[in-house]
Amino acid sequence: MTGLSKLSAQRPEATLRLLAIWRAIFSLLAAIGALAPWVGLLPGLRLWQGILLSVILGVAAVFSLVASRDILLLQHRGRTISLFVDYLGLVACLVIILQVGGVFTGIDALGDVFGRSVLFLLVAFGGYLISAAGDYFQHIPKTEKILRQAGKWVMIFGGLAFLFRANLLQGLLALAQNLANLTGVGAVIGLVIFGLALWGMWRGPSATALQAKTNHEQMLNGWLFLSPNLLGFLVFFAGPLLLSFYFSFTDSDAFNTPNWVGLQNYAKILNVTIKPLAAPDQLARDVLDIKIYDEVGRLKLGNSGVLFGAEDKLFWLALRNTLTYALFAVPLSVIPALVLANILNSKLPGMKFFRAVYFIPSIAAIVGIALVWQWLYNATVGYINYFITLGVELWNNLFNAGIVDPKIRWVSDERTALMSIIIIAAWQTMGFNTVLFLAGLQNIPGELYEAATVDGAGAWDKFWRITIPMLAPSTFYVVSTTTIQAMQVFEQVFILMNPPEGPNNSTITLVLYLYRSGFQNFAQGYASALAWVLFIVIFGLTLIQFRQQRRSSIYEN
Amino acid sequence: MNRKIWMLINLFVLVALALTACGPAATPTQEQAADVSIRWRTRPDNQEEINVYSNISKELDGQLQGITLTYEPGGTEGANYQDQLRTEVAAGTAPDVFWIPGTDIADFATRGLILNIADLAGKTEGFDVNAFYPGPMYHLTYNPANDKSGAASGALWGLPRDVSTFALYLNMDLINEAGAPDPRELAKQGKWDWNAFLDVAQKTRALGSEIYGYGASAWWGPYGVWLNASGGGFFSPDRASCALNTPESLAGLEFQRALYQDYDVATPYGEDPEPPFRAGKVAMFQNGRWATPGVRTVEFEWDVVELPKGPQGSQGNWLFWGAYVINAKTANPEAAWKLVQALTTAETQGKVAALGANIPSRVSQEAFDAFLTFTPPANNQAFLNGLADSPATEGPLWAGSWPEYDKIMGPAIQAVLTGGKSVDDFGATICDEANKVFNK
Repeated sequence: MTGLSKLSAQRPEATLRLLAIWRAIFSLLAAIGALAPWVGLLPGLRLWQGILLSVILGVAAVFSLVASRDILLLQHRGRTISLFVDYLGLVACLVIILQVGGVFTGIDALGDVFGRSVLFLLVAFGGYLISAAGDYFQHIPKTEKILRQAGKWVMIFGGLAFLFRANLLQGLLALAQNLANLTGVGAVIGLVIFGLALWGMWRGPSATALQAKTNHEQMLNGWLFLSPNLLGFLVFFAGPLLLSFYFSFTDSDAFNTPNWVGLQNYAKILNVTIKPLAAPDQLARDVLDIKIYDEVGRLKLGNSGVLFGAEDKLFWLALRNTLTYALFAVPLSVIPALVLANILNSKLPGMKFFRAVYFIPSIAAIVGIALVWQWLYNATVGYINYFITLGVELWNNLFNAGIVDPKIRWVSDERTALMSIIIIAAWQTMGFNTVLFLAGLQNIPGELYEAATVDGAGAWDKFWRITIPMLAPSTFYVVSTTTIQAMQVFEQVFILMNPPEGPNNSTITLVLYLYRSGFQNFAQGYASALAWVLFIVIFGLTLIQFRQQRRSSIYEN
Repeated sequence: MNRKIWMLINLFVLVALALTACGPAATPTQEQAADVSIRWRTRPDNQEEINVYSNISKELDGQLQGITLTYEPGGTEGANYQDQLRTEVAAGTAPDVFWIPGTDIADFATRGLILNIADLAGKTEGFDVNAFYPGPMYHLTYNPANDKSGAASGALWGLPRDVSTFALYLNMDLINEAGAPDPRELAKQGKWDWNAFLDVAQKTRALGSEIYGYGASAWWGPYGVWLNASGGGFFSPDRASCALNTPESLAGLEFQRALYQDYDVATPYGEDPEPPFRAGKVAMFQNGRWATPGVRTVEFEWDVVELPKGPQGSQGNWLFWGAYVINAKTANPEAAWKLVQALTTAETQGKVAALGANIPSRVSQEAFDAFLTFTPPANNQAFLNGLADSPATEGPLWAGSWPEYDKIMGPAIQAVLTGGKSVDDFGATICDEANKVFNK
C-alpha cells in the first residue's frame, strides 16, 4: 500500500473532507465557466456553443455543490454525484488531450504505423505462448522455469521492438510538444485531479464511510459499463439531434453564425392554399399570389377545378412521392417475403442455398446495385427492354398479334421513374424481410399445425388461421421497420436517377429534398426543419401501426 | 496471473497505438519541418486523370521551395464532389486549395468561403488576369461590393483550371452507312446548320429502330445551347432575372422538343446517351472535351464536329470552366497562391490537356497549337471553333442562387422534352417560379 492509500484507509474522513472541498472548488470553477461565454471571456463561441457550455457546466456546478454538502453529511448521494461528475470530467480531459495531442488526426496514419510494427507484436504474443507452455511442464520445475523466463524475455523484446518500430519515442515527443500549451497542460492537470478524485471516492473506505450498499455498487457498475455506449449516443446522436432542432429555428447556412428566425422555416414548409378554378386550365398566376405560392397540383372537376398551391412546392411534391413510394414499396417487399419465407421454411433439399441467395441483395452495396440497375433500365441498350422486345417479337411472330414494343423509358419517364425505384427497393429489401419471417416461422409451435391437421384443416386454413396470426409480432416488426426505411428512401434515388429529382420532380423524396436544401442550397436551418417534419410524419405512421397492432394482435387479446 | 498479463498486454497495445498514432504526422524530418504543408483537390473524371494530377503534384512539390503538397482526388459515385467539398468547408477540414465549377463561384465568394486574392495577385510580379479567357475572368474578378469586374475591381477569386466547349462526337460508320452528308465537310463549307443537322439525324435514325441520330445528357449544358443558338438564354443580359420565356428561348426549346417528340431522332431525354453511343447506336453525341478519353476506346470510326449554327448564325455553345480557389480558412495564403499560379502555368495546363480531357485556360497560340496535336479526334479544330464562336460563358448568379435556379429550370425543361408539358405551358409559368431565386 502506498502512503496515501494507508492514510485514506486509516482516516477516510480526511479523504472525504478533501473530496468535499474539491467538489466545492469544482462547483465554483464550473459556475465561472458557465458564465464565461456571457461576460466575454470566451470570444469566438457561437450562440449554440455558448448555451451548450453554460447548460453543461451550470448543471455540473449545482450538482457538485449538492454533492459537497452530502459528502460532509456522509450521505451516499454525494458519492454517486461525485463519481458521475469526476468520471465525465476525466473523459472530457482525455478527449481534449487526444485532440490537442493530434492523436485523432494521427489515427489516419495508424494503418501504416501498425503495418510496419505488427510483426513484433506477434513476437510478443509468441513470448506469451512460450511462457504459457510452462503450465504443461509443472511436473518438471526446471523446464517450467526456463520456459517462463524465455517467454518473458521474448515478450519484452517483442514489446520493445514494436515500440521502436512504431516510433513510440517520436510519438511521445510529438505528444509532449503538442500538449505544451495552456489547453494541453490544463487538460493534463484536469486528468490527474479528476483521476485522483475518482479513485479516492471509488475506494472501499470512502464507500463504507458514505454508507454504500450493494445496490449502490451495482448501480454504479451498471452505469460504468453502460457509459461508453451512452456517451457515444449522447455525443453522436442525441447531441446532433438537439442541435438540428435548434438549427430548425435559424437561418443557418452551416458556415456563418445563424440568426434566430423562430417558426419561419416551419411556416414556409406548411404554408399552403387551395383555390377554386374557373376553368380546368386556368393559369396559376390568375388565382395565386405567385410571389409567394407555386402550383403543386390541380384537380379537374368538369368545367372547373381546384388548385393546390404551396410556398414550398417541392416539399409537398416530395411528401407525395415519398408516401406513394412507401405505399407500394412496403407491400411489395413484405408480402413476397412472407410467401418466400413459407417456401424456404420447408424441408426441401437446397433450401439453405436459396436462403443465402435471396439474402445477397440486402448485403450488397447500394452504389453497386444502383449502377447495375441503371444499366438494366437503360431504355436503349438495357437488358430489361431488350427482353421485352424479344418477347413482343416472339408473340407477334407466333400469333401475328401486331403488338407495339412499348420501349419503356424506365427512369426518364415521369410515369415510370418512381416505379423503377420501388422495384429496386422491393428486390433489395425482400431478402432481409424473408429472414425475419423465417425466424418468426420457426418459433411457431409445431403442435398447433398437428392439432389443425387432426381437425382436418387444409394448407390454406393453416396458413391463414395459424401462420398469419402467430407471425403477428414478426409482421409488425417487418412492416414498421420497412415503412420507416421507405420514408427515408434516398440512396437508390440519388444514384440511379440523373438528375436525382427525376423527370418533372417525379422522384424527389423528402430525404433527397432535405439533403439538397442542406448540402446544395446552403440552407441547413431549413433542412433541419424539414428533418423534424419528416420525423413527425414517420412518428405518426409508426404510432398508427402500433395502435393497429394492439387492436389486432392475438397476443394482446 | 494469466488474466493480469492479458490485461497488461491489451493496455500496452492500446496506449502504444494511441501514442504512436501521432508519431508519423507530428515528427517530420528537419528539412520538412520548415516546409508549409498545402493540401489541394480537384475533381478528376477517371483514374488516368488522378494519375496525371498526382504526378503534377509531385513535380510541383519539388519545384515550390518551402511548400509540401498533398493532392486529394475528390468525388466518388456515392459522394458528389461539390457536396463533399461543401461539407468539409462547413466542418473546417477542406483543403487549402480546391477546384470548383464556374457556377459555384458566387455562392462561395459571397459567403466568405474563399479568399479574395486580389491583394496577393497585385504584389505578384508578372501576373496578368488578361492571360486567361475573358469570360471566366469576368466572374473571377467580379466584386459584388462595387459591382465591377476586371483587373482593377479589387477582387480575384481564383484562376481557371481549364476550359471546354461542346462538340458533336460523330459515329462515321453510321453516317456513311446512312448515306448522310459528312458534317465535317458541311461545317467547312459553312452549311452546318440546324436543318443540315436534322437531315443527318433523320437519315441515321432511319437505319433502324435501335439507331438514334442524336444523343445528349440531361443537364443545363446540352439544352442550353439550343436556347442560346436561337438568340435566347437562361437569364436577362444583366443576369438578374429569368429569360426562359422570351420568344427566342422558346423557339430554341421548341426545336429541341421536336427532335425528341416529333422527329424522334434523339435518345430518350433523361437516359444516359453514352452507353448507346459507345455501343455504336448513336450517330451524333453532344458532349464536352472531357468525354474524349472515354470515346477514344470505341471500336468504330469516329471524329468530332462543331455544333450546328442556329437561326442567329451562332452555335450557341458554352465556354465551360472551373477554377482553383483558396480556402478562406487556409493558414498559408501566400503558399496557396503560389500553388494556384503553378497549377495554371502553360506548362502544367499542357500536361493536363495532353490527356485529352480539356483545353488550357490560357489564351495563347502556343496552347492552341499544342492542343491540336492531342489526337484523336482528328478534327480538334472543332473545339477551337466553338471557343471562337463567342460562346456563352458558364457562370454563377451573383444576383441569386444558381443551384436553386437550376433545380427549377431542369425538371420543367425535362417535362417539355419528355412530352409531359407543352412549350406554351412552360413559357407561361416558368419565370413566375424561377424569378423567386433572384435577390429582391
